[in-house]
Amino acid sequence: MKIENLLLIQRGVLKLIKQPSAPLMGFGMSLFFLLVYNAGIGGIGSMEVFGKGGYLSFVFPIVIISLAMGSSAGAGQTLNADMQSGYFRRLYLSPVPRWILVASPIIADTLSSLFFTIILITIGAVSGVVFQFGIFSVFGVLLLSLLWALTLCSFSAGIMLRTGQHQTAAIITNSVFPLLFLSTTFLPRELITAEWLLYASWGNPVTYILEGNRYLLGGTSTAGFFYTGLLILSFATICSLSFALASAKKIKI
Amino acid sequence: MEAIIQIKNLCKTYSNGTEALKGISLEIQSGQFFALLGPNGAGKSTLVKIITTLISKDSGEFYIQGSNTETNSLKIQKIIGVASQENEIDPAETVENLMVFQGRLFGMSKKEAIERAGWLIEAFGLTNVKSQKAGILSGGNKRRLHCALALVHNPKILFLDEPTVGMDPVARSEFWKIIKGLNIKGVTVFLTTQYLEEVDKHASAMSLISEGQILYSGTISNFKTMVNGGNNSSLEESYLQYLEIISKQ
Repeated sequence: MKIENLLLIQRGVLKLIKQPSAPLMGFGMSLFFLLVYNAGIGGIGSMEVFGKGGYLSFVFPIVIISLAMGSSAGAGQTLNADMQSGYFRRLYLSPVPRWILVASPIIADTLSSLFFTIILITIGAVSGVVFQFGIFSVFGVLLLSLLWALTLCSFSAGIMLRTGQHQTAAIITNSVFPLLFLSTTFLPRELITAEWLLYASWGNPVTYILEGNRYLLGGTSTAGFFYTGLLILSFATICSLSFALASAKKIKI
Repeated sequence: MEAIIQIKNLCKTYSNGTEALKGISLEIQSGQFFALLGPNGAGKSTLVKIITTLISKDSGEFYIQGSNTETNSLKIQKIIGVASQENEIDPAETVENLMVFQGRLFGMSKKEAIERAGWLIEAFGLTNVKSQKAGILSGGNKRRLHCALALVHNPKILFLDEPTVGMDPVARSEFWKIIKGLNIKGVTVFLTTQYLEEVDKHASAMSLISEGQILYSGTISNFKTMVNGGNNSSLEESYLQYLEIISKQ
């Protein structure tokens, strides 16, 4: 990769370090979920259906997923700040490919999300989350997180570029949030009694990401969910990145 | 002298129907100090935005140093420096960091970028504020920084769109000294401004644009002669007189 492109990514990362509100909000939300869910419902963890990992390993994927949801607005906010200050126009006039101007804050945001995922995994491991395939489980969780973060950050940046309003960068979080609760979030399928929720969870892509993670952690799910989740996320990542890069052409300079 | 900028039949209509440029043709010679004049809304900024690759044209052709701007935009961006009407600075970064980063984006090594930034910071009188964040600078210093950023990569062509707006007289004088110095060294200057005394003092050639069309292209002295027969009048007087004549036709 060209040094100029790396400099722009580095700038994006430094921006997040200097103004860490978005990633910290995501991290805080994840930690809160981890504490509250485990403290509130953790008592049912002894049930056989939660496997050897107990309820903590079962609920841990929610913590990972909500991290990217909470911090995905960062790329959009960085782009918006540059556009408001006029600095984006100066970057636009630099001899760098224009796609990297949009991609660099997305990459920075994704890297930040991965960084906090690693912290969460460490906290999880210390607290007793089971990684059934050891280091391979960790890599698997990181891969799913990477694609999930990339998808959300790209959508958030694309929407902001098209609307020009930083508030809209949070739209993606708000629209994905209900999907978390239309899934096997708190209980496995076997214990969900409402039939409509069961149907909704089958059609909900978040279910496959959750269950894919659960396969890697406590082993309460099957490998099929992991591969389906990977496929869904790969497709979503391609779509959202294309959307963000195409949105770069809609910018009014 | 060879033409460094060649524009042929350039047209641009915005999506709201405004016909900003109606077949503009223009040639600017290498090393020239050129001024594009015209009333507000004449099409000056649109023309500059197209030449500097910020927006696309509808039809026509233009070349910068022989390169087609559509196929060689990265090459063109390397040889042009742009200081547009609005400040383009990151308020969260320090003056020094912004200058060095700008140099690095244009392919300079860190050492080169630091040296060049240091020279420009001194030349533009920003030494005392080099460690300050750009966002807290005074209006005049922001403007100086904005102009200095356009020069970090030693551009061959410098586009200045109302560059001295907001500068105090001392800063303005220092600014023109630097620009004149660069022009003497061979940098082509493309200036758009409403301060006609600055054009009169520094530029040698000009074009007058109105309602998206070029009304005059040539030297400033020829323009004055054409308008009032060689009376020793200022460019501003000749310009106003010419616009009056045009409006009556």
